[in-house]
Amino acid sequence: MLELNGLTKRYGDVVALDGLSMKVPPGRIHGFVGRNGAGKTTAMRITLGLASADAGEVQWKGRPVTIGDRRGFGYMPEERGLYPKMTALDQIVYFARLSGMGGAKARTEATAILDSIGLGERIGEPVERLSLGNQQRCQLAAALVASPELLVLDEPFSGLDPVGVDALAGVLRTQLDRGTAVMYSSHQLDLVERLSDEITIIDKGRVVASGPVAAVRGSRGVDQLRVALESGGTAWAENLSGAKVVGHDGDEVVLELLPGGDDQAVLDAARQAGRVRTFRREAPSLTELFREVVSA
Amino acid sequence: MVRLVAGREIRERIRSKAFKVSTGVSLVFILAIAILPGILSDDGPTTYDVGVFGGGAEQLAGRLPLVAELGDNLAVEVRRLADVAEGQRLVESGDLDAAVGDGQVVVKKELGDRLGFLVQEANRQVVGEAALAGAGVRGDVVGRVLMPQPLDVRALDPESKADSDREALVFFGTILLYGQLLGFGYWVASGVVEEKASRVVEILLAKAPPGQLLAGKVIGIGVVGLVQLVGFVTLGLLTAAASGSVDLPPETLAVAVQVVGWFVLGFAFYACLFAVGGALASRVEELQSTTTPLTFLAMGSFFAAITTGGDPSGPVARVATYLPFSAPMVLPIRVAAGEVSLPQVLVSVAIVLVSIVAVMTLAARVYAGGALHLRGQLKLRNALRASRHDGQPIATG
Repeated sequence: MLELNGLTKRYGDVVALDGLSMKVPPGRIHGFVGRNGAGKTTAMRITLGLASADAGEVQWKGRPVTIGDRRGFGYMPEERGLYPKMTALDQIVYFARLSGMGGAKARTEATAILDSIGLGERIGEPVERLSLGNQQRCQLAAALVASPELLVLDEPFSGLDPVGVDALAGVLRTQLDRGTAVMYSSHQLDLVERLSDEITIIDKGRVVASGPVAAVRGSRGVDQLRVALESGGTAWAENLSGAKVVGHDGDEVVLELLPGGDDQAVLDAARQAGRVRTFRREAPSLTELFREVVSA
Repeated sequence: MVRLVAGREIRERIRSKAFKVSTGVSLVFILAIAILPGILSDDGPTTYDVGVFGGGAEQLAGRLPLVAELGDNLAVEVRRLADVAEGQRLVESGDLDAAVGDGQVVVKKELGDRLGFLVQEANRQVVGEAALAGAGVRGDVVGRVLMPQPLDVRALDPESKADSDREALVFFGTILLYGQLLGFGYWVASGVVEEKASRVVEILLAKAPPGQLLAGKVIGIGVVGLVQLVGFVTLGLLTAAASGSVDLPPETLAVAVQVVGWFVLGFAFYACLFAVGGALASRVEELQSTTTPLTFLAMGSFFAAITTGGDPSGPVARVATYLPFSAPMVLPIRVAAGEVSLPQVLVSVAIVLVSIVAVMTLAARVYAGGALHLRGQLKLRNALRASRHDGQPIATG
């Protein structure tokens, strides 16, 4: 298990992290969400030893993380980087060996991982001659090759098309099944919501919400009602006594119950206006929650 | 870890186009320098074509070869001419170097020292002989007066061919050393900045401490430079010996070993400084400005070495012996010239070693502080400050 305990980091007057704590157990995937500059990359760099915390510490398996532990972690930095003139295979073999693997094993593993992510045909080509998508795959292979127990991925989905997103999600699921702990950051909140076991939302270096996705979504204790009429009309929802409109999503009206409000009364009001096609009570989406907590 | 990093550097450098091209170009130069003097130099005597005419032409024709024997590597081919007109024509066409007779010598542009000695001395003897004979001096006396036994030359410090061969050897050794130090030093700088520009450094730093990454890079590139230097030296010497350009003096091996040894020390010193230059830049384009001071340092040292070649015991030579950046280039020359004592060499080596430790420490800190500075040029002071905040343990781990 990875534990970040009270990490604090300042760059001059800028507070990058202000007592950040979070945990990533093995076999779980932890989404890391926050605005640009919220401190996600700094937290990841401290985890990898690329920066040092002014206060707090990183623990791995219950004790302070060592250089040896870190060699075994898989890392995909936000600023992607590979040796442009080295072949994909040589490159991944090199990273495997830097992680502590022997020469022959590194070669076998590198070939296998490149094969599994669909680079099998092109492993002998210099990276600079690969397409952007394939370079991205190679980057992922660099993070995965040493069979890491912890994967730290900074914006792994940025720049991927929907097919690429699904492929990466598949790769991550395989890693989780082997018991890898995964920590990743993303701005694609619907994706984070779908993919993560747990999430941490940070703002200005501080945790503003953290826990299992459902718990975080329900953390405000206020549910939303989503109602759509077959006619598509929405005027009925204005001026209800027990709920207020907070938004529209397609032809759905999104309402929030006011204190003492009754969802059945809202349903009755909707049925008065026409045939109801959708009526759903749910916690606010991550996107809505995020907007609310980081702008608070 | 260091071995792994060094291994990658060696493999990738040797595979690179830049290495192949620079090796090829250097080989052509070395072979040219080793072979050409043997082909171009003409060790035989200089032969002048001299025509004689007019009164006393016969005597001149007889005397010229005798005078030539007095000269150093001098020979003469004599032709009898009908008159001065024929002489002028043949000198004009280049068939003759000079035409002598009737108290004049015809040449195309100027007489020159050696040809001048030849014809003036021959003329003096012929005219003198006639004058002495006219005055009734006996023939054998005339001979003793005009052609006495030449003086025996006794040189206190004779310039030998071995000396000049050794100087040439050391000179080319110095050029080679300078080229390798600067060339491979620059590779260290560009290697550092390429890893920053391609951002791969962030993955590397997550796997290995900056000190080890830097050490691996310097050692790897240094090994390539060293092997190449040994190859160049061996090839150059073998070719030079085989083509007869130089007679390799007995201390050749010692000079070669020294040049190679000073490369190791000099490279360690310069490579660390170049690594600093690389760490301060974030793009290859910025290398120019961050490494310029080093290039000047290396060039200055090279000129100090050239000056030392001309005056191995002069003030420049003596000062440059104790400066860490010039010692590697100056010492082989001074040792070959026998102008430094062993204790002086040891002091110089010690100074260079201490300096290497200092620049290595500096380089590791700047590298650690600058490695993740991926945009824009960095000031040395800021890199050092960053290394204090974020630097990892520099040595092992």
